[in-house]
Amino acid sequence: MVSLTPDLLQAVTKPARYTGNEWNSSGKRHEDVSCTFAFSMPDVYEVGMSNLGLKILYEILNRRVDTAAERVYAPWVDMEAEMRARSLPLFSLETRTPVREFDFLGFSLQYEMIYTNVLNMLDLAGISLWASERGEDETFVVGGGPCVYNVEPVADFFDLFVIGEGEEVLGELVSLFVAWKKEGRPGGRKEFLRRAAGISGIYVPSLYVPCYDVEGNFCGMERLDEAAPAVVYKRVIRDMDEAETMEQPVVPYIDIVHDRIMLELFRGCSRGCRFCQAGMAYRPVRERSKERLRSLARKMADATGYDEMSLTSLSSADYSCLDGLVDDLMEDFAGEQVSFSLPSLRIDSFSIGLADRMQQVRKSGLTFAPEAGTQRMRDVINKGVTEENLMRAVSAAFEKGWKSVKLYFMLGLPTETDEDIIGIAKLAKKVVDRYQEIKGKRGAKVTISVSCFVPKAFTPFQWAPQDSLAEFERKQRLLKDNIRDRSIQFNYHDARVSRLEGVLARGDRRLSKVVFEAWKRGAKFDGWSDQFHEEYWLDAFEALGVVPEYYNGRERGQEERFPWEHTSPGVSRAFLWTERERSRRGELTPDCRRGRCTGCAVCPTLDVRVIDREAGK
Amino acid sequence: MSEGNKNAAQRSIVYCRARITKDEPLRYISHLDYASLMQRAIRRAKIPAAYSEGFNPHMKMSFASALSVGVTSDAEYMDLELSEMMAEDEIAECLRPALPNGVRLLGLRIMKGKPKALMALTDEAGYEILVPLRGAFPEAQAAIGAFNAAKECMYLRKTPKKTREIEVRQYICGEIQAEAAENDLLCIRMAIRITPGGSVKPQEILTLLCEKFGLPVRAETALIHRCGLFCGGKELLSAGEVKP
Repeated sequence: MVSLTPDLLQAVTKPARYTGNEWNSSGKRHEDVSCTFAFSMPDVYEVGMSNLGLKILYEILNRRVDTAAERVYAPWVDMEAEMRARSLPLFSLETRTPVREFDFLGFSLQYEMIYTNVLNMLDLAGISLWASERGEDETFVVGGGPCVYNVEPVADFFDLFVIGEGEEVLGELVSLFVAWKKEGRPGGRKEFLRRAAGISGIYVPSLYVPCYDVEGNFCGMERLDEAAPAVVYKRVIRDMDEAETMEQPVVPYIDIVHDRIMLELFRGCSRGCRFCQAGMAYRPVRERSKERLRSLARKMADATGYDEMSLTSLSSADYSCLDGLVDDLMEDFAGEQVSFSLPSLRIDSFSIGLADRMQQVRKSGLTFAPEAGTQRMRDVINKGVTEENLMRAVSAAFEKGWKSVKLYFMLGLPTETDEDIIGIAKLAKKVVDRYQEIKGKRGAKVTISVSCFVPKAFTPFQWAPQDSLAEFERKQRLLKDNIRDRSIQFNYHDARVSRLEGVLARGDRRLSKVVFEAWKRGAKFDGWSDQFHEEYWLDAFEALGVVPEYYNGRERGQEERFPWEHTSPGVSRAFLWTERERSRRGELTPDCRRGRCTGCAVCPTLDVRVIDREAGK
Repeated sequence: MSEGNKNAAQRSIVYCRARITKDEPLRYISHLDYASLMQRAIRRAKIPAAYSEGFNPHMKMSFASALSVGVTSDAEYMDLELSEMMAEDEIAECLRPALPNGVRLLGLRIMKGKPKALMALTDEAGYEILVPLRGAFPEAQAAIGAFNAAKECMYLRKTPKKTREIEVRQYICGEIQAEAAENDLLCIRMAIRITPGGSVKPQEILTLLCEKFGLPVRAETALIHRCGLFCGGKELLSAGEVKP
């Protein structure tokens, strides 16, 4: 057990990040179990603790009597300095066991800019960074989360990845491990990984070698073992009502980013926005029944004492029984002072009505995502929202008493023109003016938050080049110059970070060395603007002779082989190409959950189906 | 009938006071976070807490005296308003299993009418400090003796906003006691006055003892524990009740 002395804990900010012991946290004795699993999100406690996926997996694994699951997050820079100065290894929150003593260390990879933190945590833990150098007794390093749909840039640091939803497959992996351990670890580490590759949804990168042609272009994966499937398809929960899930989430003592109960209404979203990786990768839509949700809400409220509950999903307002569910929850929790929130609002007045009912008194501000400033551009990305939709939604909101509206947009979408960018400013101005028309006075606060588009794997834009840094910055200035109303606040992202994200999002395995070199130079917490140092990355690219524009700056050919296609969410390349072509013509593709199948191939490939409770599908 | 009592009768508010602890597992939790963990515990216990009206209803709960991060306590006092009557035993029975590891319920009373605010009642706090001794015990004794003998003693209090000098000897009731404890630890006991004009924190006194009186310890290695809070020398659980 790692000992944390008072002078150490007094020296760091928010020491409660490291002291654990939270309500509902586990704490099994390791000698009583056959498998120990440390879960991590490689970010600070407040961010890591807010991740829904890890909460679910933590609880499910801890229900097994043979397994102890614990948590570990990235120590903030002050704590890291203290730990290094005192030679303290990275430790788990529950039992303060050095992480290197666990059988598994599982990282949830939520975004590319956290990769260097994985390396930093492995280093702090005293675990070999390169999977190929890990000894027989070293911890198995596991990855999961959205980044697995192109995990090649960090593949060399992991023993295996879980592709897709983890609820079932993680238990299978643990059972396999326990059996292999009981047998006396036959064949050692290599044999365990070979066996793991036989579980559907497990990707073992060491069993694959990427091949490159004479020009250095990726041309396919060579499989080193027949245990390794040519394509590892994601695991998917068929029926969300039947699947094991979280009922007693850990309640932190300090304020975290999402400090509330997360009630997951459904998985997947088939609206088909062409820029959205989650929309393509988490298909099909599978709803929970209203009854199941009511019972989960009650259990979680009783088990935690939280007074806030968020109805989460990719697009919560699309839940087919939302109206009835909200009524039921308001009734179930009447007099208990529980507030409900809907994190993702659809742009229509139905959503406004709901939000109004849910936030009876507090008008905390509404957020919409039109994503683009002109109808042409929104059609290209298949957003399926018109200016009229937005104006009706904000009108309804202003009439109900809201004053502040936040609008999300992207810069740098394929085919974008200056007119599309100026359209963002015009749209924001129209929203401001609408307030004045309705209220007869000024007073609206409109925030436009504009990110830089990053083309992602397994989307119709996976072939597209990303804008250059200069182009992003020109577009940001252009937009800024076109905003003349003081009621509009303009926030934008650091384009340098987005460019780097663009490299990693569609990179290949050769980038593992770049990530390593950047970390060596000091890169960590790259997603935190105050910690990001572009020069570490630029130096790393230069030192290794890697040209970042090769990954983010070029239009890829229709036939080009991609280094991510062997870890697949099931959506077909043909569908994605068709969507790309339709996008060029500004043609919309409707949502398949109620209408016709649009042929993305996920359902037949994975043998799953859409579950829409109201339609009885 | 006092004004407070009349209101309470009209709204049928019940006032409940509890003495709870903040033990080792919660040492590094801030006062604000401690209050919210208690609110969650009360909600889990399904005790009928009263809430404020208005836009952002909050549980009607108040504490006697904020405790710093890094300090444990056997003497946290909390007043809670209930919207309906519940017997003392019953409240305790519901609350105990809902308390996290690191909070124990030491006493609980239903107050007669609306009590005076805990914050206003509290005038004295007792602390015990355990700190590794880096010199001989007589050296420590001499340092503390010198402090005790001083008529006044200035301390430079630095906060992120401002720095000012305060006289702290006035806030120490009687003398600071010191004794040698096991494992080369020094045990320091002090009673601190809490006045409307201000007070001093035990860590500030310890820092002062190190810096100005040569107490041979490192202040940042100390474990500080609050052992009591008082009103006119009486324990707070029954203090400040409105006489019927």
